Amino acid sequence: MGGEWLILTILSLLPIAIGLALMALPNILPEELSKQISGVTRNICMGVALALLAISTWAAATSLGDINWMKINFGGYELENTPFDIIPQIGVSWHVGADALSLPMIWLTALVVPLSMLVEWDAKKGQYFHPLLLVMEGAMIGVFVSLDLFVFYVFWEMTLIPMFFLILVWGGEDRRYAAMKFFIYTFTASVVMLIGILVMYFNTGSSISERSFDMMAMLDSGGQMSEGLRHLVWVLLLIGFATKMPSVPVHTWLPDAHVQAPTAGSMILAGVMLKMGAYGFLRVAVTAFPESTVVFTPLLVVLGMASLVYGAWVCMGQTNLKRMVAYSSVSHMGLIFLGIATMQPLGIAGALFMMFAHGIISPLLFAVAGAFKHHYHTLEIGSMRGIAHHSPWLAGHMMLGWMASLGLPLMAGFVAEVAVMIAFWMTFGWLVLLPALTLVITAVYYLTSMQRTIFESNDPHRGVLPDTLHHEPRDITWHENAGMTILGVLTVLFGILPFFFWDMMSYWSTEFMVQLLSEAMQSEGVRP
Amino acid sequence: MAGSSNEYNLLLPLLPVLLVVPALYVSGMESYDAAFLIVIAPFIAFPTILIAGQLYNGNETWKNKMKEGGIIGLAALLVSLSVSVWILIEYLAEIHHFSGQQVTSWIEWISFEVLQSDYTMSSKRVIGVGVWIDPVTLMLLFVATFLCFLICWFSLGYMNTDPINEGRNHRFYAEFVLFAMGMFGMVLADNFLWLFIFWEIMGLCSYLLIGFYFWKESAAYAAKKAFLTTRVGDVFLMVGLLILYDIYGSLEFSVIFADPSLNGAVDSDKLFWALLMLFVGAVGKSAQFPLHVWLPDAMEGPTPVSALIHAATMVNAGLYLVARMVPFVDVGHHGVAGLEELGLIVAYIGGFTAFMAASIAFVQNDIKKVLAYSTMSQLAYIFTGLGSALWFYNHGEHHAATFVFGASMFHLFNHAMAKGMLFMASGSVIHEVHHAHDHLRGEGHDHEDFDPQDMRNMGGLASKMPVTSTAMMIGSMSIIGIPLVGGFWSKEGIIAETWLAALEHEPLMIGPAILILLTAGMTGFYMSRMWFMTFAGEPKHDVVNHVHESTPWIKEPLVILAVISSLGGFILTLFGVIDYLSGEYDHLALHKPSILEAIAYELEHAFLPQNPNLRIIGWATILLSFIIGPIFAARVHGGGLAEGHRASPMVAWLTSLSGMFGSQDATELSQSSLSEALQNRLYFDYYYELALSKTVLPFAAFAAWFDKTVIDGIIKKVASNSVLGSLEIRRVTTGRASDYILMIAVGALSIFALAWGVSG
Repeated sequence: MGGEWLILTILSLLPIAIGLALMALPNILPEELSKQISGVTRNICMGVALALLAISTWAAATSLGDINWMKINFGGYELENTPFDIIPQIGVSWHVGADALSLPMIWLTALVVPLSMLVEWDAKKGQYFHPLLLVMEGAMIGVFVSLDLFVFYVFWEMTLIPMFFLILVWGGEDRRYAAMKFFIYTFTASVVMLIGILVMYFNTGSSISERSFDMMAMLDSGGQMSEGLRHLVWVLLLIGFATKMPSVPVHTWLPDAHVQAPTAGSMILAGVMLKMGAYGFLRVAVTAFPESTVVFTPLLVVLGMASLVYGAWVCMGQTNLKRMVAYSSVSHMGLIFLGIATMQPLGIAGALFMMFAHGIISPLLFAVAGAFKHHYHTLEIGSMRGIAHHSPWLAGHMMLGWMASLGLPLMAGFVAEVAVMIAFWMTFGWLVLLPALTLVITAVYYLTSMQRTIFESNDPHRGVLPDTLHHEPRDITWHENAGMTILGVLTVLFGILPFFFWDMMSYWSTEFMVQLLSEAMQSEGVRP
Repeated sequence: MAGSSNEYNLLLPLLPVLLVVPALYVSGMESYDAAFLIVIAPFIAFPTILIAGQLYNGNETWKNKMKEGGIIGLAALLVSLSVSVWILIEYLAEIHHFSGQQVTSWIEWISFEVLQSDYTMSSKRVIGVGVWIDPVTLMLLFVATFLCFLICWFSLGYMNTDPINEGRNHRFYAEFVLFAMGMFGMVLADNFLWLFIFWEIMGLCSYLLIGFYFWKESAAYAAKKAFLTTRVGDVFLMVGLLILYDIYGSLEFSVIFADPSLNGAVDSDKLFWALLMLFVGAVGKSAQFPLHVWLPDAMEGPTPVSALIHAATMVNAGLYLVARMVPFVDVGHHGVAGLEELGLIVAYIGGFTAFMAASIAFVQNDIKKVLAYSTMSQLAYIFTGLGSALWFYNHGEHHAATFVFGASMFHLFNHAMAKGMLFMASGSVIHEVHHAHDHLRGEGHDHEDFDPQDMRNMGGLASKMPVTSTAMMIGSMSIIGIPLVGGFWSKEGIIAETWLAALEHEPLMIGPAILILLTAGMTGFYMSRMWFMTFAGEPKHDVVNHVHESTPWIKEPLVILAVISSLGGFILTLFGVIDYLSGEYDHLALHKPSILEAIAYELEHAFLPQNPNLRIIGWATILLSFIIGPIFAARVHGGGLAEGHRASPMVAWLTSLSGMFGSQDATELSQSSLSEALQNRLYFDYYYELALSKTVLPFAAFAAWFDKTVIDGIIKKVASNSVLGSLEIRRVTTGRASDYILMIAVGALSIFALAWGVSG
C-alpha cells in the first residue's frame, strides 16, 4: 500500500478543511442552499469525525502493513512522509510521522471529538458549533503528528481559536472573562515557548539557507549552544508546556475555562488539549535537551508534587462540581511530571499511560458534570441531594467516572498510577508517601461530592432538588448515556487489558532512556 | 407470603450450571486452569444484572422469576462454588501429586525494563496474572465461594420480601457478585499487585453495599467512612508493595517465596518496613485498632452485606495478607532473620483490639453491633495468633510456629462459618421483627421510633423462631469456644501458644497473652448476653408475640452452617486440618490408625496437654469462657420463657438453665461513666472526626481561597499591569477575528526578532 504516508496528513488537514468550508459555505452560497447545508452540518461533522476515528483505529491496529505498533520505538517514526517544502526560504516543510508517543494521542483525539459531539447531540447550538469542533480536532491531531516545529507551533496556536470561540459563544454566564483569560494566558505562555523554539531554530545553522525547523535538525541544535543557553531554552519551553498541562503555579486559567466552557468544549479541553502540554514537553524539551532535563529533575519533582498535592487540597475546598473536576485534572497531570522525573522507563511509560488514561476518564467526568448542569441547571455541590433517585444512569456514570479518577484498580488510571509509583519509589524512596497519601485526599473529595449530590436525601423515593429546577427531574438522554457508556467501557477495558497501548509506550520509553536520558544522566553524574 | 413454597422452582434454571464442571472435566481441562472461571463468572454477572435491572425494572418476570437478578447472581456464584469445590476435591484427595503449591500464569499484564545503577537496562520484567493455590488459598477459597453462595441464597428471601428494596435489588445483586469476584480474585492471585487490585475492588463494593440505602444520611456517611478508613490502610499497603518490588524486582509469590532472603542479601530493615506497611493495610481492611472505626458503622448496610463483607469474607483479607508474610520470616526456609518485632507488633495490635472490641460489645444493644464488635474481637484473636506465629517462625521455633499458624487459619475458617451464620440469623430476627411490626402498625399500633435491631425490643423469641434460635446458639457457642464446638479447637491453640511464647521465650508477649485470655471470658459474656436478651426471658415488646419464622430462603443457609459450625471444628481437627493449613501435611486425612485413636489423641491434646503451663492456660480459658462469662450473662439477662411459651428442645434447656442463676440488676453498672464511654465506643470516632474537621476541612478551604486570591491574584495583577496584557485585552474585546490574527502576526514577528537577537 503506497498511500499510507497520506493518512496522517488526511487526519490533520481534512477536518480543518471541512470545518472551515462548512462555516464559510452558508455565507457564500445562495440562501436556500445554505439553509439546507446548515440543516445537515451536524450530521456531516459527525460523519467526518467518525470517519477519522475509523481511519485512526485502522492505523492503530497492528494489521496495518508491516508496522508492528506494539513494538514501536523512540526514534522510529511510522507513516512518515517525505518532507515537502512549504516555505523553503526559512526551512519550513510539511513533515508528519507518528510513533508510540503520538499514536495513542492521535487515536484519543479521534475518539474524544465524536464522543463530545454525541454527548451534546441535541443541543441547539447553531451551524458553527460542530465545524469548530472539527477544526479543533484537525489542529490537535496536527500538533501530535507534525515533525516540523514551525508547523507544530502553527497547529498549537490554531487549537486556541476554536476553543476560544467555543467558550465565548456557547459558554456560561461568565464566558467573556473566561474566554479572554484562557486565550491570553495560554497565548502568552506559548509565546514564551516560541522564543525557545526560535532560539533552537537559529542554532540549526549559521546562515538562513542552512537553518530548518525540521524536528531532526532542531533536536541537534542543542549541540551548538552553550550550556547556559540550553538550560534557558529548556526553561522557556517548560513554561509554555507546563501552562498547557497545566502545572501549579500556572494553572489558574483551567478552572475558569472549564466552568464556563460548554460540555463538549470541556471534554476536549481536558481530554486532549491538556495532553498537548505533556506531549510537547517530551517531544521537544526532553528530546532536545536531555541533559537539562536531568539537571532540572528536582524542579520537575517540585512542580509535579505541587500540582498533585496542592491540586488535591484545592479540589477539596471547591463547591462547584465542574471546578472540582477541573482541579482534579491539575492534580492528575502532576503525576506526569513525577513519572518523567523518575528517569526510569517504567515511570515514563506510566506518565504516557496517564496521558491516555486521563484522556478517557476526564471527558467522562466532564460529561457527567455537564449533564448535571444540563438537567438540574446547577453545579453547586450540596444544592441537591439524592439525585440517584431520579437519574440512576447519571448516578451510575458518576460513580464509575469518579472511582476511575480516584485510581481504583481495574480502571485505566490505576495502571498509570501504580507504574509511576513503583518507579518513583525506585528513584526517590520514602518521598512516595506524599503522592500516596494524596490518593486518600483524592478519595475524600470525590466521595464527599458524591455523598452531597446523588446520595443522602433522607427520603426513600425522592431527592432534594435544586431551586434552579422548575420541571420534573429526569434522567440523562440516550445520547449522553451512549457517550458516557463508551468512555466508561473503554476505561475499564484499558484498566484490565492495558497492554494494547502499554506495550508500545513501554518500548518507546525504554528506547527513549537508552538513546537519550541514560547518556545524559551519565554525563551529568546522576545515578539511576 | 402466599405460595412461597413454589419459589424453589426458580432454582430450576440453575441445574444446567451444575454441568459446567463435569463438562470441563470431560473435556480434559485441569482444575487449576479452570480457576479463572471462579473470577470470570461473577465478573460477567455484574454488568448483566445491573443493566438488565435498569432496563427491566418493574417487569413482572424480572421481579418474580428472576428475583430482580438474584437468580443470575446465584447462578454465577454456583459456577464459582462448583469450580472451587472441584479444585478442592482434586487437591484434598491427592488426585494430583501436588506438594506445597500450584502456580499458573496466564497473561502478561504490563511489562517493562528497569534502568539499573550501572546505566544498563535490566531484562524485561513482567507483572502478570495467574493463580497460586496452596492450602491457605484452598481454605479461603472454599470459605468465600461457599459463604457467598449461601448468603446470596439467603438474600433472595431477605432482600426481595422487603418492599423498600423493590426496584433496587438488581443493584444489590450486581454489587454482591462484584464483591464476590473481588474476594475470589484476591485469594487466587499469584502476586501481590493483583492481590492489591482485588483488595481494592472489595473496598469499592463494601462502599457501594454499605451505602445501599444511599438516601439515608447515616448509610451514605458510613459508606464513605468505610472506604476512606480502609483507603488509608490501602495506601500504606501500596507503599509496602513498592518496597517489596524494589527489593525483589518482582511481586510474584513464586519468585519472592522461592528465596525471600536472596541468599542473605536482603536488608532486613527495609524488609521490616515493607512488611509493616503491608500490615497497616491489613489493619485497615480487618478493622483493627486504630483503623477499626469503620466496621460498626458498616452495619448500616442490609444484613446480608454484614454477613458477607463484615464477617465472612472481606475482613479476612487482612488476615490472608498477614498469613502471606510467613515465608519472609520463616528462618527455617530462607526467611530473613531479625524480624521478631513484626510478630510482636502484630500480636499487640491483635491483643489490644480483641480486648477493646469485646469490652465495647458488653454494652451494645443493637444486635448487629454486638456481632460487629465480636467480629473485630475474633479477627484480633487471629491476628494475635499470626503475630505469635510470625515471632516463632522468625525465632526458628518451627513446631510451635506451624501449630499456631494452622490454628489461626483454622480459627479464620470457624469464625467465618459461625459469624456468617450469626449475621444471617440476626438478619432473620430483624426481618421477622420488622415484618411483625409492620403487621402490627397496620392494625393501628403506632411505633414511630421502633428499632427492629434493638435487643431491648426482643426477648423470648426462642419460642417463635426455633431454627434461628438454635442456629444462633450454635454460632455463639462456636464463637465463645464452648468445649468441643467449632471455634474451641482453634481458639485454644491460639491462646495456648501465645502464652507459651510469653512464658518460655519472649516476656514481652505476655501483654497480648493476658489480653486474649481475658477476652475469652468477655466473649463468653457478650455472646451469651446477646442470645439471652434476644431469645430468653419474657417478651420485652408486644411485637414479639406476632413474630413468625416464615420467610422462604432464609432457613436453609442457617441449618447448613449450623451443622458445619457445630461439627466442623472437631471433624476437621481429627483430619489434621491445623497441620494441613500450615503446610506440615500434604493433604487432609486421618493421620492415626483408627478414628477412635484420633479422637482420643485430640481430646487429650486439647484437655490434658503434656506441658503443665498449657494445661493451666487451657483450663483457665475454658473456665472463663464456658463458665464465668455465660453465668454472668445469665444472671443479668437470662430467664425462662413466659408462661405458655415453649421453645424447641434444641434450645429449651438453655432458656431454662439461664433462669436458674438468679437475676441481678445491672442498671447501676450501665449508668457508670465507663459504661457510657464504652457506649460511645471509647470516643475514638468522636476524636477522629474532631481532629479531621479541625485540620483537613479548614486547610482545604484555605487552599481553595489561596488559589483563588493569591495565585490567580498575582497572575491577574501581572496581566493588568503589563502593557502587552492591556493591549491584548483591548484588542480582544473588539471581538473581531481579524484583530487576533493581526496580533498573532505582530507578536510572532517581534518574537522572531527577539530570538534572533538572543541567539545571534
